[in-house]
Amino acid sequence: MSTKSGLPQALCTVLFASVLTCAASYASAQSATEISIGAIVPSSGPFAEWGRANTVTLKLLEQQTNDAGGINGAKLKIVVLDDAAKPAQAASSLRKLAGDDNVLAVAGPLTSSAAEVTFPVANEMKVVSTSQASSKPGVSKLNRPWAFRNTIDEGVLAQTTVPFFKKTFNVNSVGIIYDAKDATAATVGTRIMPAVLKDSGISILNESSPLSFNTGDLDVSAQVTKLKSLNPDGVVISADYSQAITVIREMKRQGLIKPVVGSTQLISSAILKAAPEIPVIAPSTFYATMKGDAAEKFVNAVQPLLRKESGLPAEIEPSMYDANIYEIVSMYIDAIKKTGVTGKPADLEADRTKIRDYMAKLEGFPGLGGPIGFNDDGDVIKAFYVLQGQNGTWDPKVRGCSSVPNHPAC
Amino acid sequence: MSTYYAGLFADAGILLLGALSVYIILATGQLSLGNAGFMGIGAYITSYLTVMVGIPLTPALIIAAIISGIIGVIVGFPALRLKGIYLAIATLGFAEMVRSFLLNFDTMGGSGGFHGMKHVTVGYIWIWSGGILLLVMILERSRIWLEMRAVHDDETAAGLVGLNTVAIKIGAFGFGSAIAAIAGGLFAHHHVYIEPGNFGFERSVDFVLAVILGGSTAAPGALVGSILLVFLPEMLRSLADWRMAGFGALLVIVLLVRRQGILDRALLRRLTFSKAAS
Repeated sequence: MSTKSGLPQALCTVLFASVLTCAASYASAQSATEISIGAIVPSSGPFAEWGRANTVTLKLLEQQTNDAGGINGAKLKIVVLDDAAKPAQAASSLRKLAGDDNVLAVAGPLTSSAAEVTFPVANEMKVVSTSQASSKPGVSKLNRPWAFRNTIDEGVLAQTTVPFFKKTFNVNSVGIIYDAKDATAATVGTRIMPAVLKDSGISILNESSPLSFNTGDLDVSAQVTKLKSLNPDGVVISADYSQAITVIREMKRQGLIKPVVGSTQLISSAILKAAPEIPVIAPSTFYATMKGDAAEKFVNAVQPLLRKESGLPAEIEPSMYDANIYEIVSMYIDAIKKTGVTGKPADLEADRTKIRDYMAKLEGFPGLGGPIGFNDDGDVIKAFYVLQGQNGTWDPKVRGCSSVPNHPAC
Repeated sequence: MSTYYAGLFADAGILLLGALSVYIILATGQLSLGNAGFMGIGAYITSYLTVMVGIPLTPALIIAAIISGIIGVIVGFPALRLKGIYLAIATLGFAEMVRSFLLNFDTMGGSGGFHGMKHVTVGYIWIWSGGILLLVMILERSRIWLEMRAVHDDETAAGLVGLNTVAIKIGAFGFGSAIAAIAGGLFAHHHVYIEPGNFGFERSVDFVLAVILGGSTAAPGALVGSILLVFLPEMLRSLADWRMAGFGALLVIVLLVRRQGILDRALLRRLTFSKAAS
């Protein structure tokens, strides 16, 4: 029996794990002349493409800042942790960044589910946490004053997206399909979209029996057959792009060539390749072909790096979430420069409070797509665009704003 | 202890309860892949009681455990007709049913999740985890446990010598479900937010993995497995994008070296300087 030699083997396992811990701790050691900012991205798991692209973007920003002389003479260090899109790991990551790595502020987490769990920890530890992608309604509002989101509530975006969809494609009826396992997708598919569609005078053919699937499902033929039988003028797909691709491919296979509308989750270069002939309408605050000095400079700098990165598609373009996380850390850098943040360990609490106050009062920060501010709920006020994706490209069709028209950010 | 490590220990304590819930059912030779469903039931009932009804957490956990235990017994009856992989699939179906129900249960937020719970300390979580681990270890020294092992080893022979195999298997299912519910209640009050996606298939797999990795023949094995499953991915952060691949490789290596799990009864005896039963 192997049990006789069990003790040394078990000890070896524990020792091996301890050595790894020491190595990780050593790697995270930092000098006093550095300014540390943390980031939580999903480099593994279901949103790994977004997370890895975020990491490349942050490395670029770190290099750009340090090449330009750092922040008030100190070197910028961005500590990036992977949460695998798991809420518990995102919360642990924030605890590590705020408690052990002593970062001044944190960019992330990416998903709404992770933000729901991480933002209360940010409040408890008194450190600013700004999500680059969470768009589920009310997540930062519940976690004032340390939680922010550089994303617009899906409810606000849908109010501009759906009327455009109706007008452009003369849509009077739709069928809805959503990812039941994804909290944001389920909320958009079962609550936000039905309400906005009704307000826009569009009837929902499967209102009493909405169609759903689960993250990771590879066969949605039954759901699409049902959708086709409804004969809708258009289709609402509420899912992140990687799941929506499965539905769009099946729609193409079954000959259901109808315009698709959805949330920011649909925005990706990959979705356009799934069925180029099916028009996809979705809102976004940034797109890779955006015009303007800041946006073009950003795309020119980050796109080659993204395409060189192993594990990312060879034709990848920077996404809205790359732009968002770039803006978040840029805002933190601006806050550190302008509010007298010292970066000294003794001033950590005061420094974090200065960054929070800067974020809360922010107006007219030069973002990649225009000026940025935050509302009282901690959600960003900025311009957004309704994009039409067809034949491989996203084209902006409507410009909107997440606040009243006269706001400086609009 | 830093808040980071406190958070990890809290996660490990909750996972330990989930692993123990599987361990007890496994002790009678049944494999449940549906304990995340019982965890979800416990999380939502406890949260409802503390947030909507306003009763303190401890009695809320006990009520949730009792209700989940009863549901476990009800689920356990049809499961009596199934064994091995068929039982695992049936329990998996139960967990998916619970998740789908919670997704459409608007009273508790549905797909939007549920908030409002008050945060609990790592100490409170470990009072429950440590207490239940101790309880299971005491149970392991009792006659009931011998009967459970007899059912595990040969159900027909156990029945022939007069053991009530139905009661033993159903009882184990009920007890395991109650512990999973406590894990759920503590999870809800540690993370202060729950949504149906928290209680999916991956959670059930984590419970089973903690038992298999730590050792499925002694309750403290679940403790070793839970701590490793929570701490290893954190220790491997220096591997960056290869972290989860490294984690998987380590699990495979550990299971190749220690097929019976890291901690088995023989190793436990050596560590505690106790003698084997003659």
